[in-house]
Amino acid sequence: MVEAIRKTVLVDFTPEEAFELFTARITSWWPVRTHSYGGDEVKNVVLEPHVGGRLYEVTAGGEQDWGSVLAWEPPRRLLLDWQIGEACGTEVEVTFEPEGPGARVVLEHRGFGASDPRERYSSGWDVVLATYAESSSKNA
Amino acid sequence: MSTNGLVLDALGDWTRRQIFEALRRGPRSVGDLAGDLPVSRPAVSQHLRVLKDAGLVVDRKEGVRRIYSVAPDGLAGIRAYFDSFWDEALDRFAAEARKERE
Repeated sequence: MVEAIRKTVLVDFTPEEAFELFTARITSWWPVRTHSYGGDEVKNVVLEPHVGGRLYEVTAGGEQDWGSVLAWEPPRRLLLDWQIGEACGTEVEVTFEPEGPGARVVLEHRGFGASDPRERYSSGWDVVLATYAESSSKNA
Repeated sequence: MSTNGLVLDALGDWTRRQIFEALRRGPRSVGDLAGDLPVSRPAVSQHLRVLKDAGLVVDRKEGVRRIYSVAPDGLAGIRAYFDSFWDEALDRFAAEARKERE
């Protein structure tokens, strides 16, 4: 099991505003030139605002899926099933918490296990048990 | 880290990402891969060399064919790739928020 990626960024936005920028206006900040299928051809990135919604890029040639929404809890939490090539089957969770006058945005990209579902499942349990062990040793 | 740079370059190309994705589903030969992609066999070989140099794939000889598969520690490379990707993406996210606040 490969350790999850965890990133934190503070913005001078309320959690509501940060959630809206992250989701509804994803095109305004996503580095499409280097991180998309279509590169410079990408006209739009769309994140459909509901569970089961699609995350996809739009080019003149059509649409290309990046992932789907597993949890839609504005303005606090977003969970995506990541289907882009090399990270197919991983998950991205983003949370938005108030921090002073702004918001703390925490992103976790996890599940860099094997693409075999059984292995993903067992890796999942490794994480559960490791977390359990960690919290129980903290309490000890 | 130079290895990280190589992984970034290796996966920065659309065709190479398709090749890598195909290999995540199981080991394949060059001919197999070329049959599924809009690129020639020599081009697939070149892409595989880049992926191999980046430590993402390994190969073995099986009779006259060479079979490629995802390197056991290749996933650590993917993680490194996304680690720097998210730095870039979130920097841009924060910069957009700053710009709108001004």
